[in-house]
Amino acid sequence: MSAASRGGNAVSALLRSSRRVCSQCARSSPRPAIPLTTRRYYAEQTTTTTTTTTETAAPKPPPPSPPPRKDISSEHSIIVPSQSDSAHYISAGIILTRAPLLTREPTPFEAAFYLYQKRLNERLAVPFRKNLYFRTDTASDLDWRIKVRERHGVPAKDIGRYNPRGRTAWNDEVLTGSPLSAPETIVEKLLADAETRVSEDGEEIAEEERVPVEKPMPRRTEADEKNDVRRLDRALDRTLYLVVKGKDGKWTFPAGRVDTSEALHETASRVLEQTAGVNMNTWMVGRVPVAHYVKRPSFGEGETAKTAPEKRGEKTFFLKGRIMAGQVDLTGNVRGVTDFQWLIKDELREVFATDYYHSIRNMVELR
Amino acid sequence: MSFPFNLRGLASRLLNLSRPIQTTTAPSASRCLSTTSPLLNTPKGGKKPQSGGAASGKKRGKGKNAVVQDPKIVNLLQSLSTLSPRRIPPPLRMARNRHLRHWTIHRGWLMFRRKQRDERERTFMKQYQSMSAACEELRLTRGPGARPEGYLYRVAMEKKGVYGHHGVPIEYARAQTDTPAKVAWNHDWKR
Repeated sequence: MSAASRGGNAVSALLRSSRRVCSQCARSSPRPAIPLTTRRYYAEQTTTTTTTTTETAAPKPPPPSPPPRKDISSEHSIIVPSQSDSAHYISAGIILTRAPLLTREPTPFEAAFYLYQKRLNERLAVPFRKNLYFRTDTASDLDWRIKVRERHGVPAKDIGRYNPRGRTAWNDEVLTGSPLSAPETIVEKLLADAETRVSEDGEEIAEEERVPVEKPMPRRTEADEKNDVRRLDRALDRTLYLVVKGKDGKWTFPAGRVDTSEALHETASRVLEQTAGVNMNTWMVGRVPVAHYVKRPSFGEGETAKTAPEKRGEKTFFLKGRIMAGQVDLTGNVRGVTDFQWLIKDELREVFATDYYHSIRNMVELR
Repeated sequence: MSFPFNLRGLASRLLNLSRPIQTTTAPSASRCLSTTSPLLNTPKGGKKPQSGGAASGKKRGKGKNAVVQDPKIVNLLQSLSTLSPRRIPPPLRMARNRHLRHWTIHRGWLMFRRKQRDERERTFMKQYQSMSAACEELRLTRGPGARPEGYLYRVAMEKKGVYGHHGVPIEYARAQTDTPAKVAWNHDWKR
């Protein structure tokens, strides 16, 4: 748009006095027209602005329609608990997550590709020089010799039987279905290599006298095997979300009404303490809501149907939290929560109501 | 002892780097290699040093008086000598079918990477949209109590305590591992 036409728009906006419908929120009751010079694109207390605009824009006729809400300055003296929006309650909830503790399991293609690359590297790299690393006829040298002999002379531990300089150097591809590239196989080979095979005075240790190397803990824990959804050491490579079962028997994230003097993050932390106890090391990621759920109000029949809803709706804003240590403790919670679960994102769909799940599903993490 | 993939790769790369420097006039590189040349020759039996030149001949004579006999250094130098460009393996040579397979594998890897990246970006976009929608709803909400429209939104946009000390807890810096700790989660943490 050129500068001239923008000026024309501005002038026409100033001269226009007809009713306007807000293009952003499409309200049925239009707001007073605000000239472009003072138009805002952020939320602010509107009454002060309208008064200033009427003062500054003297030749302009007064706002054509009465403001849709009551005068806010008169409302400030009255303490109304969370009632100002006549159709909705405001709630704040917390989506408490446990970040994944483990890395992602590599896909079979990924694992096979890594093995392929390792073998290509063997073809390209300078041959391994044992003498640089082991002094001749020391215990570590004897140890190395035994291990290399068992690997058929291959210095690398995890590439299987492949010699990049021999007669079969071309044969660097692994056959389909070979377990060689699986992470478990690699761990097994590395553990076998870490075992000491020669004593300090250079004698080979018999198989029954070798001290086995301590194995790393399994990726699937006891809670995984039992499918214990209340434990936090389940599904270690996934994000876990805390869901609680309310009085009405529905599973939700912990949430509660925003008090008059509170902001969202204060309510969220209060609700979390009231629901799940204090014995959790948590961190609120930010004050910005990451998801929201709106329960629409229901309007009854009759003449009051347009003014007051029969049953008020509820707007719930969810903040994001992280848990570092601790566990939920439901004993003596004041919110009437009866049960809790730590679920991964696929299991959320099963426990939540459909509309509830649809309003929060965009905030879930990749894994 | 771990397998020295990295060292070998590094050494070969270093040598490749130093080669063009030798051919041009770089006194430091040529002197370094010329002092090592008599040592390289002694065990092998009079092999011609790879960096022979007019400038280094003079210094070789000087080096004869101070022969380094430390076996560790001799071992190191011998090992470095195997990194000579004549001894490092040639670039990969593949026949037609083998090369086509290699190309397929490579394309498969690129596709895998791209899928992962797209999925990640899609998740970020969804999360952004979710936050954006929630903020817009919050901006158009009145309350709590007698608060005007957008009050909660303005408070939510404040950045108090976000930056600086204790902005992010130190536990959050824990890196992901391949296998869990012996006690995977501390369930008995007390405030």
